[in-house]
Amino acid sequence: MKPFPVLLLLGSLTSFLSAKKVDFAREVLPVLSNKCFVCHGPDTKKKDLVRLDSFEGATRDLGGYRAIDVASLKDSEILARLHDADDPMPPEKAEKKLTDQERDLLSRWVKEGGKYAKHWAFVKPQKPEAKGNAIDYFVGAKLQAEGKDFAPDAERAVLARRASLVLTGLPPEPKRLQAFLDDGKQDAYERFVDELLASSRFGEHQARYWLDAVRYGDTHGLHLDNKRGIYPYRDWVVRALNENLPLDQFITWQLAGDLLPKSTLEQKVATGFVRMNPSTAEGGAIPAEFQAKNNFDRVENLGISMLGLSLICARCHTHKYDPILQTEYFQLLAFFNSTAEGPMDGNRYEYAPNVRAPSDQKAWKEWEELKAEQAVILEKLEQRNKTASPPDPAYPVSNLSYKFYHGVWDKMPDFSKLKPKKEGKLSTGRFDLSARDRDDGFGFVFNGDFHCPVDGEYVFATSSDDGSQLFIDGKKVVDNDGLHPEVTREGKVTLKAGKHRLEVRFFENTGGEVLKVSWKAPLGSAEVAGKANPMSELQKKAADLASRIAAAEKKFTTTLVAKELPKPRVTKLLHRGEYDQPQGEPLQPGVPAALGILPKDAPANRLGLAQWLVSPEQPLVARVLVNRIWQRTFGEGLVRTPADFGLQGEQPTHPQLLDWLAVELRESGWNLKGMLRSMVTSRSFRQSSARRADLPDPENRLLGRGPSHRLDAEVLRDIALWSSGLLDPFMGGEGVKPYQPSGMWKALMHPGSNTKNYVADKGERLYRRSLYVYWKRTSPHPMMTLFDAPSRESSCVQRSRTSTPTQSLALLNETQRVETARKLAERLVRQAKDDDARLNHLFTLLASRAPSEVERAACAKLLAVMRERYMDAEGDALALLSVGDIPRDPKLKAAEVAAWTQLAVIVLASDAALFIY
Amino acid sequence: MNNNHYRDLELMMTRRQLFGKAALGLGTAAMANLLGSDLLAAAGNKAGMHHPAKAKRVIYLFMSGGPSHHDLWDYKPKLSEDYGKDLPKHVRDGQRITGMTSRQKTLPLAPSKYKFTKHDNNHKGVWVSELLPHTATVAKELCVIKSTFTEAINHDPAITYIQTGSQVPGRPSLGAWLSYGLGTLNEDLPSYVVMHARTRFAEQSLFSRLWGTGFMPSDHQGILLRSQGDPVLYLSNPKGVSSDDRRAQLDALATINKRHHEKFADPEVLSRIKQHEMAYRMQTSVPELMDLSKEPEKVFELYGKDARTPGTFAACCLNARRLAERGVRNIQIFHRGWDAHGNLPGEHQSQCKDIDQGCAGLIKDLKRLNMLDDTLVVWGGEFGRTAYCQGKLSRQNYGRDHHPRCFTTWMAGGGVKPGITYGQTDDYAYNIADADGNPIKPNKDKWTPGTMHIHDLNATILHLLGIDHKRLTYRYQGRDFRLTDVHGHVVKDIIT
Repeated sequence: MKPFPVLLLLGSLTSFLSAKKVDFAREVLPVLSNKCFVCHGPDTKKKDLVRLDSFEGATRDLGGYRAIDVASLKDSEILARLHDADDPMPPEKAEKKLTDQERDLLSRWVKEGGKYAKHWAFVKPQKPEAKGNAIDYFVGAKLQAEGKDFAPDAERAVLARRASLVLTGLPPEPKRLQAFLDDGKQDAYERFVDELLASSRFGEHQARYWLDAVRYGDTHGLHLDNKRGIYPYRDWVVRALNENLPLDQFITWQLAGDLLPKSTLEQKVATGFVRMNPSTAEGGAIPAEFQAKNNFDRVENLGISMLGLSLICARCHTHKYDPILQTEYFQLLAFFNSTAEGPMDGNRYEYAPNVRAPSDQKAWKEWEELKAEQAVILEKLEQRNKTASPPDPAYPVSNLSYKFYHGVWDKMPDFSKLKPKKEGKLSTGRFDLSARDRDDGFGFVFNGDFHCPVDGEYVFATSSDDGSQLFIDGKKVVDNDGLHPEVTREGKVTLKAGKHRLEVRFFENTGGEVLKVSWKAPLGSAEVAGKANPMSELQKKAADLASRIAAAEKKFTTTLVAKELPKPRVTKLLHRGEYDQPQGEPLQPGVPAALGILPKDAPANRLGLAQWLVSPEQPLVARVLVNRIWQRTFGEGLVRTPADFGLQGEQPTHPQLLDWLAVELRESGWNLKGMLRSMVTSRSFRQSSARRADLPDPENRLLGRGPSHRLDAEVLRDIALWSSGLLDPFMGGEGVKPYQPSGMWKALMHPGSNTKNYVADKGERLYRRSLYVYWKRTSPHPMMTLFDAPSRESSCVQRSRTSTPTQSLALLNETQRVETARKLAERLVRQAKDDDARLNHLFTLLASRAPSEVERAACAKLLAVMRERYMDAEGDALALLSVGDIPRDPKLKAAEVAAWTQLAVIVLASDAALFIY
Repeated sequence: MNNNHYRDLELMMTRRQLFGKAALGLGTAAMANLLGSDLLAAAGNKAGMHHPAKAKRVIYLFMSGGPSHHDLWDYKPKLSEDYGKDLPKHVRDGQRITGMTSRQKTLPLAPSKYKFTKHDNNHKGVWVSELLPHTATVAKELCVIKSTFTEAINHDPAITYIQTGSQVPGRPSLGAWLSYGLGTLNEDLPSYVVMHARTRFAEQSLFSRLWGTGFMPSDHQGILLRSQGDPVLYLSNPKGVSSDDRRAQLDALATINKRHHEKFADPEVLSRIKQHEMAYRMQTSVPELMDLSKEPEKVFELYGKDARTPGTFAACCLNARRLAERGVRNIQIFHRGWDAHGNLPGEHQSQCKDIDQGCAGLIKDLKRLNMLDDTLVVWGGEFGRTAYCQGKLSRQNYGRDHHPRCFTTWMAGGGVKPGITYGQTDDYAYNIADADGNPIKPNKDKWTPGTMHIHDLNATILHLLGIDHKRLTYRYQGRDFRLTDVHGHVVKDIIT
């Protein structure tokens, strides 16, 4: 193709600019990386080949000459070879050639001294100085350099809609919108934003982006693609974001929540992140192969989701562009290689290790409240135990604790050789079996203090089904061992007044489970019997709470978690990434040298990895995260290649702003809501989205206008549900299944798969927010994938935004779209008297404004046509109003609602509703 | 360049600006895609992206599960002599075996129970099993490749490998690459169409990643042409809505969208208006496509009576031809059920009956319409099957495990030499062999003449369509990805 004038113009522009000194990191390094490193980069194998990825390499003596000759720059070999017609570099057969500008650039760089600098993203960000609002300061400066200013602010209603969609994924409620428009106070917008940030819809919307990045799915992802128990992880993400859990902890819990001291259930659930890799149990698959593949997947996901780096190259050989050695890849892999799950999922929902957790947000909240209440009471009982001796004169047992075991026995096992499944305190002092998680095949050992009021002979008894034994000060007093229904046995022992060690052992094989412990003090002292003893109010409360908690925990659901093997697996470099070709010495977990070192005292496990990721020295993580926060707010990142901050990635459009934000994120205590607040309240964000005649910038790289793009699949569906009043606000729980054309799963799936039949839900679950739509990774819901949602088989930090005819068909014909349109139509017909008011309402819901005159006329015309059409065709009207499960409102005139439905469908599908602007 | 950047370019820049940008380094393939069918039409679509194309379109008949080359194409009398003997160690030569047969005490050789006949082609003749009587009648059109090979030994990785160039999910499919490279020649139909043919044995899963786009923009994903419900998802208007209603709706919709465009000047809006119109046209063009009533009786004689039953392989083949006629360049039919670990004869007999006449009919039909020359037809699965028996062996019944080292694929039309065989295997059809019949161990890194790694197969398919597999790249995560990864060799020996 012949060069066009545009090219010539650009050519002269570069020479005009060439007076400026070459910026190595920004200008030269990308060229070297893209065009030269393929042979002369970090993975160069030939020893005699010059390496151009470092100053030392480039200035090495190559036998009387050097690629860059510092002593005599003009004799540098690069200069000669760049322009050598017979033996040029890159060579004739190279896949990528240099352009003239690039040749010119490299020559100038060498002539200016051939200095090297580290790639910008691998240097720890420093906070540049900014005046006023930092975002606007940097954006404004760049606009000013082009001789431009910010665009005027968007209209207030438009801005309210934009902020609401960015933060919560839904438009503003018409009443709230009106209140905002009527609010004349200076900080009206800021208060509006604060409300959005506090809404529980916030976490649901923001979570989607993270779930894309970590490839969250409800199925295993490979082969049978069976169901996987993992949704409590999804719900945890929502909760963490709603509660504004600092992002450093957000990351740490996910990578290593199980390794934190006294880790909580939430922290364990968060480690579902580590288990998010697709997995298989295909007959015939080789475990060692999948042990390797699962780990590759985790390392590479860490690369994309947190480091913004492609690590995949380094799996097979040292990275061609970025300074990541193959050894370092496997050192990163070593962090993940010692998790306890097997390499194959067994096609099982429970694919161990797992924990049981509350199954939705309401259940979480209730359980947490119970636990909090319990903690207060237990603390009180604990205090009483410490002060009173005996703690309760009416009840001589204190400091009772239990250990709970799994196992099937015929007689009392030696518990000291077994590992308890659970341990805990029983501040009630009761020999309570409610901590068990099963009714058969278990055992308990109770330990506590027994307070004797006087010297004398004490009689102890146990009644149990099956066996039990009672020990005082290590001596067996009651032996009620063996398999039997409830049987009582006694034993006598002479004791001094004071505290004695009491131990009760119990096991249950099958059938009923009973354990009662009682005692009689010598004559003359107060007789206390274990069973008959009245509990104090506090003890009653504690017992009640314990049983309520047990009831709540019975309803818990399984979720996959990470757990460390007691002894780590050996990790070795795999030659060419082949699982069956381990090479060299075992590798210790470690991080790539170019990106820093593990903090001092950081353990060599996932917790250490997390500590490194969030340490102030780490150059990438804060930049990568803040770039993605920017991307979901402004539509595009400051770095337009959010998955690649490496040498081949794009430079930031606003490098100083990116660094400022990255440091600010960390210094603010990793405060996500704070960061979003400063973004959406900036003047940069508030600008009108209209394209500017005075600023031709198709990609908005100067940020001289507000965001404008089609909304994501989930948001489109949610808006429709919300505007129709059908949206079910219930949060969390197992993935929901809205309507889907029949046979879609069956056409693909193995007959043995438990996801081969798609059975649509009934009732409210049809109308739940799209975040909760069941995610089958080999065949996600078509309303998601048609609108660019990823499959979640691999990481996605940037969705495409396509426009296709199949989208149009889906918007206008899909069952739920039509169903929501007809309920929206009913809402309009019911709530407003005349057409004008109804149209106003419709547009206010979807576009936060009244229709323009042109729109009003077009809508009125369509309405007139449709009214006439359905007037004489009630059958058609009723047919249309029967699409979807929810019945029509029989009080409304079918023809009228049908006409409004036809209109509502298209306004819902119009760009006024589909776009953020 | 990222997706959105790319999208913006497509929509915003004037043609002149685009050419300027392309001259600054945008790949030719991407360039073609930016300009869509206009460029290809202007350039004459035979011109190809990188070199003159032999084929304008491709129809890929994918046999999911791994058909047995022993029972269909690769005739080995030696196996009959060695019936029941253990596979010699030197033949296995370190090949890893799936967990399904690795614990079997012996690996007894299992000869095919089917009769093979040598059929004339344009070369030395080709042996075809009695299971494929119809396909045998088009032997003169086929290029039978006996030396296809892969590394994967299980379905999910193997099928993902052959369809996306990687054993793990995340990459664009062959079809997506073609859609990205070829664009469309028909404004009323999707550019990439996928069909799932019915089978009695639905063993093994398919995955949407096989026609998905991985990290590429999702408008390159395959559109499913279904035999159940709407042929294209959401094609039909809802109950109680007529085509006239829809026309009136679209007119109102265009007004609202244009108003939006006037206000924000976002060029994406204009593109969307275009897509709504194309959707409207599809509501006519797709039913017209699916309406077989005007097909003459003699056509059904070619494909067999099954072709009248929607969803059968034969019906899919007829649809494929109708799509091809209408300018759709990229068509795939997936037929499942070839994973015969046990009762292979019973299963393969039924499988072959499903596909045999459809395959032959498609080739004859394309030939009849003078379309075979520029239509590439590809037939094959993700791997072959073992020479030895899985489970109980008898002369009449046996099973075979997965086998990566050699399997048979065939191509026809579209610039492939008709009536030849390419490559050969040893006496056990266990290893690829050289011209003297000695086993060789080719690998994906360096092409060995006479062999066809799955990357070579894909490179050759792209080549026939005018695409250089090394130059059709997509930048993601800093790397210029391609379908064939860093491998692939165009096998010119099979090209006319």
